[in-house]
This record gives sequence, C-alpha cells and structure tokens, in this order.
Amino acid sequence: MADEGEGGKEGEKKIVHVYPLVKHSDMNEEMRTEAIELSITACEKYSSNYEQAAKIIKETMDKKFGIYWHVVVGEGFGFEVSYETENILYLFFAGNLAIVLWKCS
Amino acid sequence: MPDTKNKGDGKQNRGKIRTSKSKGDGGGGGGGGDADDFDAWMKSRQLLKPDDQLDLTEAELAEEVTKVLTPTNTNVVHNLVVFSFKEGEFVPAPLPGNTVTLISFPGNSLHVDSEEARRQAEETDDVAYPLPMPNYSLVEQRDAELGEGEEGEEGEADDEDKMEDKALGGEEEEGEEEEDEAGGKSGVDGEEDGEAAGPDDDEPSEAQPAAATTSKKRKLINQFNYCERAALTFTYPKRSVDTQTIPPPRSQFGANVLQWVIYDSYLADFEEQQKDNRRDDARIVKRGMRQKKFKDKSAMAEQLNKKYLKCWQILERMINQNIYDDIANDYRYWEDPADEFREGEGNLLPLWKFQYEKTKKMSVTDILFNPSYYDLFAVCFGSHDFMKQTNEGYLCLFTVKNPSFPDYIIQTDCGVMCCDIHPTYPFLVVIGLYDGNVAVYNLRGDCKQPLYVSRGVNCKHGECVWQLKWGPDMTDGEINFYSVSSDGRVFNWILMQNKLWVTTIITLYLEDGLVDGPDGTKVSLKSGGCCMKFHPVDPKIFLVGTECGYIYKCSTAFSSKYLMTYNAHNMSVYRIDFNRFNSNIFVSCGGDWRVKVWEDMRADPLFIFDLGSAVGDVKWAPYSSTVFAAVTTEGKVHVFDLNVNKYKAICIQAVVPKRKNKLTRLAFNEKLHFIVVGDEKGVTTSLKLSPNLRVMVKPPKKQLYLDQTTLQISKLEKLLSLVRELPEGNIEPDTATTVRS
Repeated sequence: MADEGEGGKEGEKKIVHVYPLVKHSDMNEEMRTEAIELSITACEKYSSNYEQAAKIIKETMDKKFGIYWHVVVGEGFGFEVSYETENILYLFFAGNLAIVLWKCS
Repeated sequence: MPDTKNKGDGKQNRGKIRTSKSKGDGGGGGGGGDADDFDAWMKSRQLLKPDDQLDLTEAELAEEVTKVLTPTNTNVVHNLVVFSFKEGEFVPAPLPGNTVTLISFPGNSLHVDSEEARRQAEETDDVAYPLPMPNYSLVEQRDAELGEGEEGEEGEADDEDKMEDKALGGEEEEGEEEEDEAGGKSGVDGEEDGEAAGPDDDEPSEAQPAAATTSKKRKLINQFNYCERAALTFTYPKRSVDTQTIPPPRSQFGANVLQWVIYDSYLADFEEQQKDNRRDDARIVKRGMRQKKFKDKSAMAEQLNKKYLKCWQILERMINQNIYDDIANDYRYWEDPADEFREGEGNLLPLWKFQYEKTKKMSVTDILFNPSYYDLFAVCFGSHDFMKQTNEGYLCLFTVKNPSFPDYIIQTDCGVMCCDIHPTYPFLVVIGLYDGNVAVYNLRGDCKQPLYVSRGVNCKHGECVWQLKWGPDMTDGEINFYSVSSDGRVFNWILMQNKLWVTTIITLYLEDGLVDGPDGTKVSLKSGGCCMKFHPVDPKIFLVGTECGYIYKCSTAFSSKYLMTYNAHNMSVYRIDFNRFNSNIFVSCGGDWRVKVWEDMRADPLFIFDLGSAVGDVKWAPYSSTVFAAVTTEGKVHVFDLNVNKYKAICIQAVVPKRKNKLTRLAFNEKLHFIVVGDEKGVTTSLKLSPNLRVMVKPPKKQLYLDQTTLQISKLEKLLSLVRELPEGNIEPDTATTVRS
C-alpha cells in the first residue's frame, strides 16, 4: 500500500504519529478536551473491538452532555451527517483509527 | 268551731270596750303627748264587728268552753250516693277520704326521667335537654283531662267545695292559655288560631284540643329558625398560550476515512507543529525585542526630556549670567579699595536678590547652604507671625548661578519653619513644618511627594518645629535626624524602610517648674525649645535654646539631665552657633536684643553685645575664628570681628528698609566670602563681605609654616585669655544637674 511505500522512506516518523489529531471540531474547548480524552481511553481499552469502544464513548457522552450522541469508530468509512452545531468531533487516533462523534436529536 | 269564733268575737268585743274606755279617758284627760299619740293610734284602729255577732254578758264571756279535738273528720259525707245510669239507681259513692284540697296549683316542671317527659319528647321530636322549655302542650293535656272531670262533677254537683276549687283551677288554666296564645300570636307569624282563641268558660273542651294542636305546630315552625348565606368568587376564564423555541441550529459535515487520509493528516499536522515551534521561538525573541524597544523609547524620551531640561537650565543660567554680568564679576572679583583706608571697618556689597513669585508675602524662616554644592542654598518660607500663618509653605533651593528662579521647589500645605540637608546624602532634605510635622524629600526624584512624612497625632510635634539636624548614621546604618519644637521636646526620627520612627530624646522641663495644679496635683512646666545646635566634635552633645531664655546643654544619652543650664537671655533664644575653630565657644542671640558669646561650662558669657533690636540670627564665619555676623529686626546686618574690636561691630549695614521689613535669617557661604540674609518679604539677599571683614591672620615671621587653622585657634585663645576671669585650664568639670522627667 501507499502507506508502506512511504513508510519505508520515513519509517521513524510513522511510529511517532499516534497522538490524537483533531481533524475537525466545532466543540467548545472544555467539551472537546473531555471528548478527546474519553475517545482515547475507550479506544485504548477496546483496541480490538471498535463496536464496544464506540458504544462506551456514546454512552459516556450521553451521560455527560445529554442524549442523542452518535459515534463511529473505524479504519475506513465515509459519512455525511447533520448535527447540532458545536457538537461534532472528527478525530484521528493511533495512526489508523478515525473516530467521529456528533450529536443529533 | 263556732265556739272559738264566738270566743274570738268576745275578745274583740272586749277590746272594743277597752278602746271606748280609752276614748273616754282621752276625752276627759286630754293629758300628755304620749296619751295623745296613743289616742291617735287607737282611733285609726276602728274595729269592725260583724252584724250577727252575739252580744254576750260578762258572765257568758267568762264561761269556759271545753273543746275536744278528735281525729275524725266531721265534714266527711258518709252517705254520699251517685246515680248510676247503667244500673238505673243510686249507688253509694266511694268515700272521698279525709283529704281536703284547699288549693291546687299545677306546676309545669317535669322530671326528666318520668314517663310524661318521655312522651313529651316523643311528641315534640325534641331531644331531652337538661332544662326543657316549659312545655305547654303537656299542661294543656292535663287541663283537658281536668276539664272532663269537672264536667262530670258539675253534672253531679254535689260537693260545693270541690266544685269551687276545680272551677278556680279551670279558670286559672284558661287564663294561662290565653296568655300563651297571645304570646304565640305575637311570636309566630301567620298562625291560624281564630277558632281556639275564645276564652270561653262554656266550651273548654273545644278550646283545649285546639290549643294543643297549635302548640304542636308552633314547635315545628320553630325548628327551622335559621338562615344561610353564601357567596361565589369570580372564576377566571381559562385560556392557553403556546410558544415554541427555535430549534438548535444544525450543520452538515461529511468526510471519508481512509488510511492514507489519516496518514497524510498526521504528516501535515506534524509539519505544522514543527513550523509553529520555530515560529514561536522567533515570536518570543521578537516580542522581547519589541518590548525592549518600547521601553527604550519611553526611557529615551525621558532621557531626552532630561537632556532638554538640562539644556534649558544651562541656557537660563547663561542668560542670567549675561544679564547680571556686572554682579557676577563683583561676586567673584570686586574688592572694595576703600577698605585700605578704613582701619577696622568694613562694608557689605549687595549682590543678587533671590525671590520666588509665590513666596513674596512669606517670611524667610531658614537659610542653609548645601554642604556639597557651595553655591546651592535652601530657603524656607513660612511665617513667624502667629496670627498670620499661611496655609502653604515652600522650600526653595536657589543657586547663585541662577538668581531668577529656584532650582528646586517643594510646596507644603503649611509654613516651612526649618530644614536641613544631609551632609553625606546632599539630596536628602528634611523640613519641619509649623504644624509640628516633619517631612523628608528626595531632591533627585519628584519634589512633589515627600519620601517620608510624620503621620498621626502621637507621631509628630505638638507645636511648630523650630530646628532640625541630621544626626550621624546609627550603628546599623539607619539615617536619622533630630528635631526641636516649642512643645518642649526633642525628637529623634529614624528613617525606617517605609516610615518614620520617632523617639523622644529629652523633654525640656524647667528646673524649678513644679507648680500646683488643680486638686493638689503638681504640674511640671516645660519650656518650649526654640533652637538647637549640635556640638561639632561630639555628636552626642547639643545645645537647646528655649523660649524662657535658657540654653540647656544636653546629651542624647540622657533624657532627664541637663549637663549645663545657661541663663542666657531675658527672652527667647533665637539661634545658637558653635565656633568653627574652637568647639568650646558658642554664640547665641535672642529677643532681648543681645548677642552673647559663651564658653562651654561657664555660666557667664564672655562677651555681650546689644544690637538695639531683636536679633534674629547669628553665625560664626567659617573662615575666621573671631568673626560672626548677626541680623536684626531693624533690617541691619552686624558683623563683628572680636580680634579687631571687642566692643562694637566692625560693620553695621542696613540691608532692607527699617520700617517695612525685618531681617530674619543669615548664612555664611562656606567657600566664598559672601553671606545671604533673608527677610520678611520672602527676599533673600546675597552680600559680599569687604576685605576688612575677612582679615586673615598673618603668620609670624618665625612660624611661617603654621597653617591658617592653627593660627585662627591661637588667635581666639589669645583673645579668650584676656576675657576669662578664671585662669586658663581651670574649667569646671562636667557636672550634670538633674531635672525631673
């Protein structure tokens, strides 16, 4: 794959990039920090079971910020969602994971 | 019975006879008042006599009649018969018994538990009250029964007594009923009673049942004797109002998650971060630079301003120098050639006048040369007049290089009475105010705000501060100064980190100042300090002049002892000054027009000069041991040289007009031969001493190596030895006199 082709070149760098990278978010600072924290914890805990991780994230977010959260955790997918403004987080994590959280009632 | 009656009658008769007799007596005698009264009484008792009364003789009346009472009733009829229609014959009636009914009065009270009461309650549907209302229905029923019986009896009509009784009772009953009905009519509306109303004796049977029924009706009506009221409040009509909130805004977002997208994002972010880091570093450096630049700018502006100020000052001085060129030349080089021809006399050449626009109406209260800059001097402006105290005061520092405007101006809110400039820190100026406060200013900084100022009631002098003096630094390097005030105390002020710390050095109690106060208490009088001078050699010793004319020699080490008391003047001591060459010699001046020269520990002055008016200030010349100058309120400056003339001044010169102005203070310049004198109009005049006023000692030909100081000291010693009464070296030892504290 392309990854590996480039990985050969800059193999060292690829290892380094596992930190959470917020690709898109319009949340307020407080909420975003919490959501990122939560996502990392869940994904680290259930690194092999994305479904479980998504479930955990969703339930916790429901509790903390009100219900109707939707969470997608996966390595490859496409999405087109409508959400309540200021309630979305699109996050890359661990180099190969994408996590999308949004709220829509 | 008839017998008894008769007897009674007989008695009555007797009585009657007696009365007649007494009548006769009354008629015949017509005696005393008592008898008359009795007659009157008797008259009113006319006894009545029945017509059929027997007239009995005395014998008959005296006859005794024996009566026997037996239990048998003789009035009972034994053979009473009643006709029986049933049997058609008379049948014997049962015996009526021995009872005779005299009166029958039926009551209307019932026993609650009785049968009648129960029945009555049933009829009226009343619960049995403990006290039931008088129930007429019952009475009436009974009456009805009685009526029936009556009828029967009437029919028979055999027993008259009974009949009468019954009839009476019946009548009574009827009467009651009547009353009742009348009451019922008035009490209850709309009751029908017409038929039963008749109070007929003939038809009692008819009337009574009717009465019974009406009474029953009445009861029923009375049961509902109440009323009820009700109100209903207004009920508001209901309505419903709805609102709908704006739904939270929504947005759309979509993306595709692919591994390469994630990877690229990471890479881009990483690069960005690194760039940011670099930029941050650069930014910090830049910001630092900018701040520095900004600071530099303001600092530069300030510096520039300072430079400008300096330039302006120089320019001003140059202009002044050009304007006063002749005076400046005189100041430096003029030596009065006339002095050569005037033996033992000199004069003063007026140079500049220093004044400040705002202090024109104020009096010069102190003049002092700066110890570091010989041409800079401080002038205090205030007022010596108790009645004309200004509500502002100034301390101005003039320099002879610029006579037109003071170099430094310090304004206060009350008159400045004195000042002192620190010898080692010539920028530190302490001023004493008329209100007893002291303040320390830093001339290098802003002259608007004091560095230190005394605050509070206990932390200041009670009255005007007359003189201040910086003391030598304390052992731990703290700067301190002393002050004397007319409240009779000498304070030591220490400049702490952020405040002034004050300690009392001595309280100037009068030595014989114990007077009787109120209530047998003793009050020790204080004398107000007027001036103070520290010993030039021993910094512990100082002299204090007081308003009483005494000069106390005190030490900062003792707070209750005077080392010496000089009875110096007859009025306040204005100033004291130590000789520059011999610290045992000092001069004092006072309000008693005199200037006196003293030797330490000698109670009597060595020289006394009378100047003809109050002497405001006296100072020893810094260049000669025998020259001193004094200013008087007459506006004259007197310069003495004891070596030249021991009896009078070698120069008396009026500096200001005699009537309008007074001289107050004086100061010798330390380096050049001129003095400055201050007057009451806020003007400071500088005067150049002519050569005759500053004669130096010429060393003897054999001792050319001797310097001027030694020569001056020896000159003074020579002079003193002439004046001293005691032989030299026989100076009294320091004996401290004790005063109460």
